[in-house]
Amino acid sequence: MNLSRNVGRSLAAPVTLWLLAAFAMPLGVVMLLSLHEYSDIFGPLLRPPSLEQFRLVLGDRFYLGILFETLLLAGGVTLVSVLLGYPLALWLVSVPTRWRSLAFMVILIPLLTNVVVRSLGIVLLLSPDGILNSILGFVGIGPFRNMLYNHFAVMVALAQVFMPFVVLALYDVLQGTNPRVKEAAESLGASPSMVFWTVRFPMALPGLRAGIIIVFLMASTAYVSATILGGGRVLTSGLLVYREAIVNLNFPTAAALTLVMTVASLAFSALVILVFKYLMPWMNTARNSGRPNATLPAIPAPLMRAQEILGPVIYWILLMAAIGLLLMPLYLVVVQSFNDVPQASSARFRGFTTKWYEIVLTNGNYTDAFLNSVKLAVSATVIALALSIPAAFALSRFRFPGLTMLAVFWALPLSLPGVAIGVGMLKLLSIFIILPPFLGLLAVHVVLVIPFCISLLVASVQQLDRSQEEAAASLGANGVVRFFRIILPGLAPGLAAASIMAFLSSFGEVTVTGFLTTARMTTLPVRIYADASFMLEPTVHAVSALTMVITLVALAVLNKIFRVDRLYAR
Amino acid sequence: MTKLNRRTFGKLVLGAGVAAPFHFTRTAIAQPKPGDELVVGIWGGAQERIVRAMIEPQLVDKYGCTVSYVLGGTGERRARAYAERGRPSFDIVYLNIYESRQAVTDGVTQAPTDAVPNYEHLYDAAKIGGYGVAFNPCTLVYKGEKASAPITSWEDLFNEEWAGRLAAPSLPGMQGMAALLMLAKTYGGDEFNVDVGFEKLAALKPFAAIQTSAESAWQMFEQDIADITVEFGSLAQRAKESTNPEIVIADPTEGMCAAMNFACITTGAPNQVLAEEWINLHLSPEVMQEYMRETYYSPTVRNAEIPEELAGKIMTPEQVDNLVAFDWEHIASQQAAWTSRFTREIAG
Repeated sequence: MNLSRNVGRSLAAPVTLWLLAAFAMPLGVVMLLSLHEYSDIFGPLLRPPSLEQFRLVLGDRFYLGILFETLLLAGGVTLVSVLLGYPLALWLVSVPTRWRSLAFMVILIPLLTNVVVRSLGIVLLLSPDGILNSILGFVGIGPFRNMLYNHFAVMVALAQVFMPFVVLALYDVLQGTNPRVKEAAESLGASPSMVFWTVRFPMALPGLRAGIIIVFLMASTAYVSATILGGGRVLTSGLLVYREAIVNLNFPTAAALTLVMTVASLAFSALVILVFKYLMPWMNTARNSGRPNATLPAIPAPLMRAQEILGPVIYWILLMAAIGLLLMPLYLVVVQSFNDVPQASSARFRGFTTKWYEIVLTNGNYTDAFLNSVKLAVSATVIALALSIPAAFALSRFRFPGLTMLAVFWALPLSLPGVAIGVGMLKLLSIFIILPPFLGLLAVHVVLVIPFCISLLVASVQQLDRSQEEAAASLGANGVVRFFRIILPGLAPGLAAASIMAFLSSFGEVTVTGFLTTARMTTLPVRIYADASFMLEPTVHAVSALTMVITLVALAVLNKIFRVDRLYAR
Repeated sequence: MTKLNRRTFGKLVLGAGVAAPFHFTRTAIAQPKPGDELVVGIWGGAQERIVRAMIEPQLVDKYGCTVSYVLGGTGERRARAYAERGRPSFDIVYLNIYESRQAVTDGVTQAPTDAVPNYEHLYDAAKIGGYGVAFNPCTLVYKGEKASAPITSWEDLFNEEWAGRLAAPSLPGMQGMAALLMLAKTYGGDEFNVDVGFEKLAALKPFAAIQTSAESAWQMFEQDIADITVEFGSLAQRAKESTNPEIVIADPTEGMCAAMNFACITTGAPNQVLAEEWINLHLSPEVMQEYMRETYYSPTVRNAEIPEELAGKIMTPEQVDNLVAFDWEHIASQQAAWTSRFTREIAG
């Protein structure tokens, strides 16, 4: 048992060390700032501690109201993302493998599109003369004139971009469910609904848990979509943190708000984990303490019958809604990138031009920024995976004191608004010598993508068939051979999902990067954000369109060279 | 160290009441040498394009230096400059009107001096808190076809035809600040008495929506969600000529709110001379005219002529003199409180 503990600890060490070096410091700064009695931007970081800021935040009904509203919004986003993402994940695993990279592409479109462009797409969808009203008008409903600039609009926008995370989290576990289990259920006379609720759904619960936590934490810190689609009416705590920190330069209040928010969202995550533990009595992660014959509570027969009739209809409606929502930006980006207007926000088509592409392709700045972003995202993904694989094993196969605390620490970067990390970094920059820009950004990006990788990989590791490892061991394979010949191939779909997620989050990151960017190290999203800081031109559409084309080509080429379908399916 | 001495020396001389031009009084500072790198923090888009095309080459040809840009929004740039006070990584930061004055008071950026030769052509208002590079006033902007008569006063906002059709500009933001201050001024208050401004804003509720940027405002116009707002005249002119031809830019009798962009040299800038030369080039008539053509920004120097084709779209010297000026340093000190009040009383 001692040996096993030590193995667990050493597996947990790399990721912990990285986070201690690159994340604990800015987090510590944020904590120190929150204990400042008043804001003094030039004052020393170390001051006699005071709880004044927390008193201010917790004693103000306005702040508390917004915190509550944010949690509610994040909950709503999570619910919509799961409702739309689940059918999508089911569809994705049913797509023939050779079409799967195209199907993946559909899911990744929103993640490949700049956040501003995505939000514009939602405006077009929900506006009074927009697409949704046209469709509803066709079947004689509506029009609804007040769908924009409220919580609903923000929720749709956030669900659009976070739904892919649910899909990717579910994808691997759904994919990993042995088809024979399904066949066994069918041979015992189970209807498709029955198979879903008694076999596929319970077996995919670890993925669902990862998806819910990721989406909730991200939605609770989001603020760009809230700004654009909330029309000034939707306030989130992320937005308040941004205002206090950047507009008012009031770091202490921003820090206190951040910490209160983080504690609240972590409490939610803990609740989710507890609920899922109750739902999955057979999966008690400690060794052998699970009850293999335990099941979910049975579904009442009338409900099941209703399910059988309505299930497929609901499935198709949700699937169509999900795909429609995902494809929105594609339409917008492709049409608008050829639109001859100087403003990206206009929906009216006024003439065909290719000049936005010319600007993007001939102005070397975009190319440089693109290459910087790719370099950064690839390095961050590789490092984060290397750190997360052992961590995922530590979490799912070992028990040692302090492991739960470590797991919380590993998830922290996801629950802290980017602005807060940026402020912590800024404070550090004013104290210490500046790091080489690339390394500084890389360190932070790895921190930001680690939580995705770990949560996805934990679900994958739990799915691994341990009897294969035991068989290999009994045939004389040592640890290294088993890792490369058995474990890694088994983890391939999970690794593919995690790297896609990590790559795209790093590739699109702008809030923290915006603070750390320097003259020689500008990333593509920061460039787009900078353009938007003056006036958003359709170059942003051209950039998004080119990013999509490049991704599609890259996926296709990878498919040819490496037989990526083996990544998509075990 | 030299810079501190220079500053102290400069103050002493000024204190003695010697009104000699600044460049006579300052001690020699390091001259640029080939390979020096000037770092400029500026907005992206057209702004970046103009300075890259028109200022950078001249500086590079003359000194063999390089120019690098840190692109982004004002907020991040300012936060960074504050964090780096005293040992800046930027030489020049571009800021908005109240941020720039506050930054000088806070010792983050330098007050303007005539070490920049074109300083002498600047309007007085453009000589406080850095070097004003563009007048960009805020005013009422509306759909002409929805107005029974052209708007001539801020009071017209309360006309029946605009009820429930205002895309209220938000605080934080220059447009929201302009709305608050101009309403206060129109109804007997000012920046020291903004209560009346808040009351009038509240009286305009319910809003059609709250806009958080010019882009969102034009979108609301286009989608027929709102008919009137408070915006930058320059951006409105651009939208009018491209996407929203129905736009009318009002010139109210109470005036427009004077907003301005500033180029500021950081305190302790590593490349003082290059920075001054950069700003001097920015204030040249050629660059000013390019800004007029590309962005409809009005010149801050008296010697930049307005090209004929832009007449009526760029502010004349007389119009500049009529701009409503406020005590921006006081406003900067109140910004956080007003923002909070706006969020709680107006936006909610």
